[in-house]
Amino acid sequence: MANPVLQRELVANLRSPRAFALQAAFLLLLGALVAMAWPSAPRLTLANPEPARRLVDLFFIGQFLLASLTAPVFAAGALTGEKERKTYELLLASALRPAQIVWGKWAAALLPSVLLIVSTLPIVVLCLPLGGVSLYEVLAAYTALLAALACFSLFSLLCSAHFTRTTAALVTSYFCILPPALVGVALWQLLGEWSSGVRLALFLGVLPALSAGACVLFFVLTSRKLWYPSDIGSEGRDIVDEQQELREAVGLVISRDEFPDRLFAPAKRTDLLPDDANPVLDKELRSELFSQGTLMPRVVIQISLLLAVPLMGACLYLIPIFAPWYLAYVLLFNMLTAPVFTAGSVSGERERRTLDLLLVTTLRPGTILWGKLFSGLRVSSVLTMFLMWPVALACVLVPEYYANLPTFAGMLAVVAVTCIVSSVVSLFCSVSFQKSYVSLTAAYLALGCLYLLPPAADYFARTYLSETPAASAVHTAAAASPFSAVFAFPLEVKNPNDPNPNAPKLIRPADWPLVAGYFAAQAILVLLLLAFIQRTFRNRYDAAGG
Amino acid sequence: MIELQNFSKRYGDFTAVENLTLRIGPGELFGFIGPNGAGKSTTIRFLVTLLKATSGQGFVAGFSVGRQPMDVRRSIGYMPDAFGVYDGMKVWEFLDFFAAAYQIPHARRRTIINDVMELLDIGGKRDEQVSSLSRGMTQRLCLAKTLVHDPPVLILDEPTSGLDPRARLEIKALLRELRNMGKTILIASHILTELADCCTSIGILERGKLLLHGPIDDVYRRIQSNRRVEIRFVAVQESNNQQRGIAILRRQPGFVDLQIDGPKVTAEIAADEAALATIVDEFAAEGVRFHSFADLDPTLEDVFMLVTKGAVN
Ligand SMILES: Nc1ncnc2c1ncn2[C@@H]1O[C@H](COP(=O)(O)OP(=O)(O)O)[C@@H](O)[C@H]1O
Ligand SMILES: [Mg+2]
Repeated sequence: MANPVLQRELVANLRSPRAFALQAAFLLLLGALVAMAWPSAPRLTLANPEPARRLVDLFFIGQFLLASLTAPVFAAGALTGEKERKTYELLLASALRPAQIVWGKWAAALLPSVLLIVSTLPIVVLCLPLGGVSLYEVLAAYTALLAALACFSLFSLLCSAHFTRTTAALVTSYFCILPPALVGVALWQLLGEWSSGVRLALFLGVLPALSAGACVLFFVLTSRKLWYPSDIGSEGRDIVDEQQELREAVGLVISRDEFPDRLFAPAKRTDLLPDDANPVLDKELRSELFSQGTLMPRVVIQISLLLAVPLMGACLYLIPIFAPWYLAYVLLFNMLTAPVFTAGSVSGERERRTLDLLLVTTLRPGTILWGKLFSGLRVSSVLTMFLMWPVALACVLVPEYYANLPTFAGMLAVVAVTCIVSSVVSLFCSVSFQKSYVSLTAAYLALGCLYLLPPAADYFARTYLSETPAASAVHTAAAASPFSAVFAFPLEVKNPNDPNPNAPKLIRPADWPLVAGYFAAQAILVLLLLAFIQRTFRNRYDAAGG
Repeated sequence: MIELQNFSKRYGDFTAVENLTLRIGPGELFGFIGPNGAGKSTTIRFLVTLLKATSGQGFVAGFSVGRQPMDVRRSIGYMPDAFGVYDGMKVWEFLDFFAAAYQIPHARRRTIINDVMELLDIGGKRDEQVSSLSRGMTQRLCLAKTLVHDPPVLILDEPTSGLDPRARLEIKALLRELRNMGKTILIASHILTELADCCTSIGILERGKLLLHGPIDDVYRRIQSNRRVEIRFVAVQESNNQQRGIAILRRQPGFVDLQIDGPKVTAEIAADEAALATIVDEFAAEGVRFHSFADLDPTLEDVFMLVTKGAVN
């Protein structure tokens, strides 16, 4: 406890009433969900542990996803924040050893999440008498949860030491954490059905050991980054040399002047801007979006492709009726990338104090905003559409899909609309908040609430509150989410496990009201937000910096 | 060229600038002086259309700041007190970006960029990344940016803050050059010596109130009706040379005060130029020997201290 870094961070983080309010709200929400899902006749279900089991699984997975989402938020800004506030040099020049700094930052980032998770333990223990779940399983789940959290936080801290900007650190950590997190959830589910003994061994023994090993590695790497860092100093900042970076890159490289990379990263200018160009749009695309080097976009692209391959095989070819799941993956990708390229566009100018220079030019606010919106939209939608190629290919290669082409066209439309909505929401956050870091987190939060909450609530309501008016109300609200929309299109394919050509087909029923509601809701949302952005920006611009 | 009528700005209860009325004629180099927090930047941000006034009006080059912001923007080059540069841009790209942002047609941009780079002597940095430039170079680059659309009015907020003495001198020389090109320049600063030798007029702002403004000579005259002369007498051992000189000074009709600092005597006397000549004559007639007789110009510090002291009382 004698670590000054840790002490200062804890004082700053935990003393705020906000931290307590958040924690209380989280526990209340969890308690309410469990209460709602509580089997109405517990005596009877003792014989059939299935509902209780499902409840606890839902509880663990929900917490795990929440922990993987929040861990980077606390850790990714720990060092980049100091760099942005220009206090990094002071910290490094102090008498603290790098290991002490890393340890302090890590513990401080970890503590709020750990507290949150441990405080949910009583709720789970309450569920134990329902049966179906053993104390050992609860123990395994919590051990794995904490081990993963420690590992993810430390990885985010490593990103924070490597990058100059919080946004880059945050995004890179999200994309690197995503695959192991998904694999963890899949293992928990699959092993639970297969053998709980193996699951216990894995989650109580192997996983914590692996995580400890990774933690040691990340800790050493992070501490090493703090010796002679290249990204401090007020003058002559480290300039990212793209050529150099490309030579050292592992795996995929981005070549700005070749197709398809030039779609999202056009080459640097060699000549003056043409007369009809929007200077802001051109500047963003060619100079700014990748000015921090291409490591972050390379990580994003490679991991998304890596995940896409098995998903594509499983959902589009092996089990064609699962096609919407692949689309859900594409949507998730867009949800994670769109804020990266738009949420910092206005707040970033404010942070770097270039906004005034831009605002006193004779560019109209509309021109500036469209430039910002289109540049981010172009990059994120091109990256998202890369993931749609497998769908186009499957439409040609899988004969089952010939009759379903309109459905795929509809899904494509949903993806396109999602690209627009994600970018507009991110721009809205960027205009509304002063700091890019806050704006990015707010954009993720807003998109999470808009896209993920309605289908989750819908699933919950269908499972535990079916046939009640509340359930149908929740189902109507699901129209806000593209994830619900892609599952609402009709799909009719042969059952691959049935060799009989006349066997009944597998059918996903259409939910046209939901589809129509989706498009209408998104159109209204986009128009409202654009009007809001225009107004807010005008106000801000009248009182810039205010 | 720049006019403010009763400009006031309040942030909540706090009044940053109060009832400021000011007029700056064409071709002037106006020094806007005041300590930190006086309200200089607030006034400037209003003039460059970045801030709404609580009350009052402003005009730049004949356009109303509130009603014709686009025309005002076209007429001014603005350099903020703190600013950043874009990442991943080269010096020429940076200038081209702003030239395009001011809607300067492609055909004219190349010449303009070359001209401003030459004027500010940053041609050698043409292909360097803007984020790698030193502080002095960044300052020059920003000054170059304010010139790309050839505005008649330049508004510079603390343009020399954070620069080394040499870079300061270079910026000052540039300002004179720009004034010779016929530009009207408003420059804010809290460093007085910096403005004293290049401004044609000044305004002194403290705690949001404009205490004084006008052409610099006028201001000096108004502030200081008494002259200060500094005389260095020759140190002659046997005769009481210095004492006799001091006696002559003391019997002048306009004599006010006198300080002795070794062989240097500073006297405050209400006198015109003819009266000063009389003193020299009397020294000669009585054989008082001196090797230096100087009519001291008031310094901007004197003016500032005098004016702000008045404000406190
Ligand atoms: N957005 C703001 N909100 C509240 N007070 C402000 C704001 N901007 C400036 N001030 C206050 O107004 C006063 C004048 O500031 P400023 O014009 O920047 O002074 P100067 O440029 O002369 O140093 C300062 O006391 C400052 O604290
Ligand atoms: Mg200022």
